[in-house]
Amino acid sequence: MKVAKGDVIPEWVMEAVSAERMKTMAAILRDPNPLHWNRDTVAALPMGLGKRTINQGPLGLSYMVNMLHDWAGPGSIKRLKMTFPHVVLDGERVIARGVVTETTESIAHCEVWLEEASRGRLLVGAAEVDISQS
Amino acid sequence: MNRPIPPEEDIRALAGHRFAGGERLIEHWENFLLTDCTGAELLPDGMVHPVALFHVPIQGAGTSIADMFALGQAESDLSIMIESYDWEMPETLKENTPYQVSGSILSAQRLHNDEGRPYDRIQFCFEMHEGKTLAARTTITWHYTRNTL
Repeated sequence: MKVAKGDVIPEWVMEAVSAERMKTMAAILRDPNPLHWNRDTVAALPMGLGKRTINQGPLGLSYMVNMLHDWAGPGSIKRLKMTFPHVVLDGERVIARGVVTETTESIAHCEVWLEEASRGRLLVGAAEVDISQS
Repeated sequence: MNRPIPPEEDIRALAGHRFAGGERLIEHWENFLLTDCTGAELLPDGMVHPVALFHVPIQGAGTSIADMFALGQAESDLSIMIESYDWEMPETLKENTPYQVSGSILSAQRLHNDEGRPYDRIQFCFEMHEGKTLAARTTITWHYTRNTL
């Protein structure tokens, strides 16, 4: 695969973030935070989020992983760092996107983000992807 | 009523704290369920989906999310905000492979947000080794907000 600065990474879409998957994830993670499994708790916050659970941060990263795997292959990601300016809510349709910002012989440095149509970029970060095997 | 904010010196003293450490492997059932939660297909050849890089290092180091909340004297489970997760993956994780896991607190400091409210920024680092080879390093940076809920 030939990769160059400015290349757009094909998007990866999560059609509807699932509250049930958040519950499974909370159990595996042993995550006591009710924001991930109790809609009433979220509704009681002074944030106006309504009765919707908040996606776990690692699941947000996983959507970026899925996009990069589909692009460069499983095992290609060498580093992924994400920040979380906004929460991701159950039921939302979110899209993982990215663009190549720099390349070396074997590594593509990428700007990556997760966006929602009305709220814009919810997660933003950077990835280093091994492109020598793809 | 707001809870008292822990003394700043208690927070600063957390820097350098080391978790017990231990060994952790990821079984097929766990990788299967985790991967399903991401909306992806299972990866080939027993490869573990990188989403495991949040909780596996934490548990492997002998701690838990709840313990990490408690170490920073979180006001509640709701008071933790994520600044960033940084996952370094020199090697691909594999199912049923024993990894030696270590973890520590890199930094802990009291800061103030734009509104002048104090919060504590605590940064945790975990490493997973297979033998002498570094397989993964994760850095978790959380904000322990104070008197915001």
